[in-house]
Formats: sequence, structure tokens, C-alpha cells
Amino acid sequence: MKRTIFKIQSGLIMVIFGFTLINFTILEHDNVKDFKLKNVDGSYVSLSDYPDAKGFIIVFTCNHCPFAKLYPARLNELNLKYKKLGIPLLAISSTDTIAYEEDTYVKMVEKSKNESFNFPYLYDGQQTVAKNFKAQKTPHAYVIWKEKGQWTIKYQGAIDDNGAEPEKVENNYIALAIDQLLNNKEVKRKETKSIGCQIRFRK
Amino acid sequence: MNKTAIRIMVFAISLLFNNVAFSQNISTIRFETLQQRITSNPDTVYVVNFFASWCAPCIQEIPDFLKYAEDNKNEKVRVIFVSLDFKKNMYESLLPLIQKLNINQTVYLLDEPDANQWIDKIDNTWSGVIPATLILHKSSDYRKFIPAPLTYSLLKKFTK
Repeated sequence: MKRTIFKIQSGLIMVIFGFTLINFTILEHDNVKDFKLKNVDGSYVSLSDYPDAKGFIIVFTCNHCPFAKLYPARLNELNLKYKKLGIPLLAISSTDTIAYEEDTYVKMVEKSKNESFNFPYLYDGQQTVAKNFKAQKTPHAYVIWKEKGQWTIKYQGAIDDNGAEPEKVENNYIALAIDQLLNNKEVKRKETKSIGCQIRFRK
Repeated sequence: MNKTAIRIMVFAISLLFNNVAFSQNISTIRFETLQQRITSNPDTVYVVNFFASWCAPCIQEIPDFLKYAEDNKNEKVRVIFVSLDFKKNMYESLLPLIQKLNINQTVYLLDEPDANQWIDKIDNTWSGVIPATLILHKSSDYRKFIPAPLTYSLLKKFTK
């Protein structure tokens, strides 16, 4: 995987728990690897299964997180609108299922049925895809775009600017990014922040 | 029992209830006001903990913060808890937690729907993951942001 990483050291380095150094990385034109994950219908899904896709909305989410619970209806809407334009939505759960029993594959299948997900809900049991995307929390959303045969991250962060009160949303960050990409424009807001539940990576 | 005794008793009981009500007081706060509060006294060490009632690792570290506050109650130290709970859950989720853990320090519920408007002002390396803690001491220009769980000993170390 080819990536440009600027490791910003001094100033951002924090000494936590003794001498552990944490490097914060800023991604620039980051490419992501394809993956193969099990969907709630039992099939396996890869990016390469969608040869006509211009891009994808990838949302790291899960069952248990109160912030993630606010969004299923909005994810359905996004997929309804953008799948037919060549940008399907894939939801991925990468939570540590040992820590959160609510996030097991069986519970994912139930959730997808109960909330009538119109998009694949993929189980990242090994957490490799979340690591590849450097996803930190749920929900953590990405817009990736096909460029010269590579999948490139064009936007990452929040889905929109108001989790708790959907009727008060002013900026649909995902939709804004995609609309700019569809018009061959640069994404103005490449990264946003939001509160979420940490994806704990198993050691 | 004479009337005076009854009056004193009623007064004592009302004091007791007042005290309980006061110690479990929560209010919402806008970010700008919070910023003013945590910089209002330059000599005070402010320990600002961002948490939510739905965040398991956050709840786990709260007793350590309370112990730290108790041990430093005669120092110029203030522990402030900032809840990122949804406003509509203030009374059904947050208040019961405050009562259960006996949080006797200031608790604010941050009333800001869009994290983008304020997260970077706390620290621009913060992704929004909680728990996270900001330690401030204006007069010595000390500022430390820790986007990870803390323990009592780490708190002591970071506030030295």
C-alpha cells in the first residue's frame, strides 16, 4: 500500500504510560486496500465486487454505541440516494466482540433485520479493515473514490453535524463531499470530528 | 418535645436535603462559557474530564478523579466533569450515574450538538474519542491533554 504520511512529531508527541510515544499521522491522499468481509446475509463483500462503483461511503459503526444508534435511518437514506449514482454504502463493525457482546455477528444480523438496513453490514472480526482505515470510533465515516485504479480517501469523520437531533442538521458532511466529487471538484472539508465510542483494538 | 426542638429538627433535615440536592446538581453549559470557567482563575489547576454515561472506560476512571479531588480539596485544584451525553438523557442517564458514583464535583452537560465547533479548541489532535482529560494551569502556562483513560497515579503525575 502506497501512502504519504507526515509524522508530526514534536509538539504532538505525548508521553503516556511511561515512555510510550504516540505519533499522530495526518493522511494525505491515502489509499486503502480492498477487503473481503462477511455480510449479515452470509455472503462475502469486497470493493472489487462493484466494478462500476465510482466511490464508496464506508461507515465504521456497531450495535452498542449510543452515537452509532442515532444513524441507521440516515445511512439508509444515504445509500438510497447514492447507490444509484455509483457510490454504494458499506457499514463495517470492527468492535471488539469480547468486550461488547452486543456486537457479535448474530446480533448484527438481528440489528440489520430489525432496522431494515438497505446496505451491507460487514463483520470485521479481525479488526484489520478498521486498522487499514485508521478508524478510531463508531461512527467513523469515510468517502473513498476511485483514482487511477486505486481507492483513495477523500473525506473522513462525522456523517453530519448533529447526531442527536437529525432535524437540526445543517451540514451533511458525507453528502457534501460526494456532491463535490461528482462535480469533479475538490472536497472542501476533508475531515471533521465527532464524539464517538472508541474502537478498542485487541492486543 | 417542644416547638423549638421540632423547628431545629426540621431545619436540620432541610439542610441535609439541601446539601444532597446541591451535591448532585448538574447544568448544561455552552462551550464558550466552559472555556471561561476553566481559565477564570490563573492560579488554579483545572482538571477537566470529558466523559459520557454510555462510555464504559469513562465510568471506570471516575472514582480515581474523585479521590484525586478529595485529596486536593485544600489545594487550588478543581476537578470539573464535562458530560457529552445527549441533552435529552440528562435526567434519565446522567443524573442516576452522578448519584450512583456519588460525584460531588461540578458536572456540566456540554450543550453543543456539533463537535467540530469546539473539539479543536480543546486540542487539535483530539479525534473525539472519550475519555479525555485536559489539565490547565494558566499562571505556569501548563497545559496537558490526554485522550486516554487515566488513573489516580497518572493524574498526580500530570498535575505535579
